[in-house]
Amino acid sequence: MSQVPANGRPLLEVDDLRTYFPVRRGVFLRTVGHVKAVDGVSFSIQPGRTLGLVGESGCGKSTVGRTLLRLIPATSGSVRYKGEDFFSYRGEELRKLRRQMQIVFQDPVSSLNPRMTVGNIIGEPMQVHGLASGSGRDEMVAGLLERVGLDPAYVTRYPHEFSGGQRQRIGIARALALNPNFIVCDEAVSALDVSIQSQILNLLGDLQKERGIAYLFIAHNLAVVEHISDDVAVMYLGRIVEQASARDLYSNPKHPYTMALLSAVPELNPRPRRRRIVLPGEVPSAVNPPGGCPFHPRCHLTRQAASDADATETAEITVGGTKLRVLRRCAEEMPVLEQKQAEPGHCAACWVTK
Amino acid sequence: MTSSTATSVMTGAKAPAARPRSLMAIVLRDTVSQLGARLAVAWIGLLILGAVFGPFIANSFPLIARVDGRWESPMWRYLVPTDVVLLVVFIATIILCGVRQMTVPVKVGIVIWLLALVIPLALWAVLARDLSWYRHEYGTGLVVISLGVAFGLDLAVLVLVPLKLPLSSRQWTILGLFAAALTGILVLHPVKPPTTIIYDQYRELGRAGRMQFSLPAPVPYSPTDRLRDQPDAQLLAPDTRHWMGTEINGADVFSRMIHASRVALAIGFIATGIAIVAGCAVGGVMGYFSGRVDMLGMRLLEIFEAIPTLFLLISCVAFFGRSLYLVMVIIGLTSWSGYARFVRAEFLRLRNQDFVLAAIAAGLPLRSVLFRHMLPNGLVPVLVSASFGVASAILSESVLSFLGLGLIDEPSWGDLLNQATGQGGTFTWWLAVFPGLAIFLTVFSYNLIGEALRDALDPKLRDGASD
Ligand SMILES: Nc1ncnc2c1ncn2[C@@H]1O[C@H](COP(=O)(O)OP(=O)(O)OP(=O)(O)O)[C@@H](O)[C@H]1O
Ligand SMILES: [Mg+2]
Repeated sequence: MSQVPANGRPLLEVDDLRTYFPVRRGVFLRTVGHVKAVDGVSFSIQPGRTLGLVGESGCGKSTVGRTLLRLIPATSGSVRYKGEDFFSYRGEELRKLRRQMQIVFQDPVSSLNPRMTVGNIIGEPMQVHGLASGSGRDEMVAGLLERVGLDPAYVTRYPHEFSGGQRQRIGIARALALNPNFIVCDEAVSALDVSIQSQILNLLGDLQKERGIAYLFIAHNLAVVEHISDDVAVMYLGRIVEQASARDLYSNPKHPYTMALLSAVPELNPRPRRRRIVLPGEVPSAVNPPGGCPFHPRCHLTRQAASDADATETAEITVGGTKLRVLRRCAEEMPVLEQKQAEPGHCAACWVTK
Repeated sequence: MTSSTATSVMTGAKAPAARPRSLMAIVLRDTVSQLGARLAVAWIGLLILGAVFGPFIANSFPLIARVDGRWESPMWRYLVPTDVVLLVVFIATIILCGVRQMTVPVKVGIVIWLLALVIPLALWAVLARDLSWYRHEYGTGLVVISLGVAFGLDLAVLVLVPLKLPLSSRQWTILGLFAAALTGILVLHPVKPPTTIIYDQYRELGRAGRMQFSLPAPVPYSPTDRLRDQPDAQLLAPDTRHWMGTEINGADVFSRMIHASRVALAIGFIATGIAIVAGCAVGGVMGYFSGRVDMLGMRLLEIFEAIPTLFLLISCVAFFGRSLYLVMVIIGLTSWSGYARFVRAEFLRLRNQDFVLAAIAAGLPLRSVLFRHMLPNGLVPVLVSASFGVASAILSESVLSFLGLGLIDEPSWGDLLNQATGQGGTFTWWLAVFPGLAIFLTVFSYNLIGEALRDALDPKLRDGASD
């Protein structure tokens, strides 16, 4: 959506990021396993551009956003910001650098401190980083509130006096206060109704044009992401399963999971009609992901392929009591993210599609 | 977008009418809106008034007297530093609580008033040092004069100064506190009551006909006035002179009851204050850093929880002698573990709250994350249990006094209660009923306030306000 060219040095490079949460049991809280919330995620974002990150609830999208901002510790992997290793910063240096990377949270209720006025919520970071103080600060806060479509007179109010949509705008104003280069928008609009959703999306788009901010835009369905993203990554069980430019991903999906997600997008604009693909079974647990391709128990492509294939190349699995026949390779080998027969840069992790 | 901007402007237009309310303000309002809590707050307020204005209400020395043709105020002259400090703190608190509601000229007036109080008192202090006779002769007069000058200046300021100082309410608070502290220190210096106190002095003067005028306090007996000039004053039953009778040594029980509220409040607030500070520090560190620190902290808590408070109190008092401060410190240091547990649990919960993550992501320093963002949100259960803690601290002190291990000469409810059963099994009902009732009402009040606070804070009972 933005006009910034996609060449040159990326603003942010995430390489093989992993975040595991220990699962503790028993009297001594022994670690009995790990929730692999993020399991080897890599992507990069150019300045002034937007990467959409899409996936079902619980697939680890928020964890990606939080880990790359170092709000929760990463298990392994690296994040480079402007070419520098972000994970190597410590103490004061890290605090200063945080100014340039902000986050807008998913839940407008818990993301604002209930004990602080809006003026302080937005103003304190500015003051701490020496961007403004005194009456200059008040003016800047008022200006920001106006920019996100709120009345500047709200500065003396407390968060509980606002609606969800208003709070979300306050959260956006807080992220903008530090004039960042990069914002993680963690389902910034999911909690809002549709008319307000589009207002906020427009606002984010305008701000991007004005200030050249890069976004990691997290959402759980493709409809929202389509309008705002330059590139889209689809996540499943802590991994990226498909990554492409937004246009190519929507017109030519290469992963069965993306196809399923796309078929669930309500059709507003004329587009070739798709049959709705209903995914059978539950989202598998991130503690014990299925072997092989993590998606194979729910995959319609592998079932189709298996019905045409040789019996030696297939295997029988049980999903929720019913027996299914899938490709042996899908059930046994983890597919890698590889270039498909599409635009350059369009990758997917699937054994079936070409 | 435009439509929403329009609506926000519309609601914004109405906004100034209703003051923005913090969650805390709403909770406090809800707490006090319950009848029981209201009565409890009224009783505690009464105790506070008794503690602050005790010397004005019950005093053997007349408030104003004219002796041998000269006016003086014996009550003022015999005030001890504690009396004056309490008075200054009380007035400063009232002013600070009101500061948000005040217009700018009023604020300016108050600060100038406080400074005006300080300057004559400072002058007085300097003079009193060089010319000791001066203070002795005119001491009371000077207090009255300086208060008068201060009031006068204040009035002049209110009428004349339409000054507008652009200070935030926080800066006002700091300024006010500073001025109050300065006043307190300067007032303390010249407050030197005569070292020998003869309670019957003014009664004798009256009997000798040398006192032309006297305005006695409503209860004309000091708490430690043993009525040496009156034979057989011990253990008098309540009558019109001694509304609650007298105790074993002949002191007026009502006077002692009023002055004892000071001990009761002090022990409750200071002991609980110590416990809260210690609990927040340890619990906060445990909750924020979690992991190994948390484990060590838990063991420390368990050790402290195993100490029997009353037994420790009794042995310490037996060993180090009777001291109110010792009692406060021991009660404080043995009861912080509960607060630490609450704060720890709250911090563990808050650590992953989005607004705390947002504070960290904004690059705020750890100090701000801990004390501005986490602590105020984790203090709620602490407040509830603090009101129960105050009640139990008061009970502990009463028990100690009842066991005969309390303060020596200071009035205390438990001590009075202790005297109710005398040697040989005699029972004096007025020494049991009045202090017993006071202890009961106070403990009951704190418990009622605790309950009301808990109800007001319970999100299930509140709709909308807390979301
Ligand atoms: N602090 C934590 N401790 C343990 N497990 C966690 C923690 N945070 C997240 N998880 C687990 O990690 C997985 C991914 O969580 P995450 O919040 O990233 O999902 P999400 O994709 O953002 O979902 P949603 O769309 O619902 O927000 C989930 O299985 C969750 O249970
Ligand atoms: Mg999420």
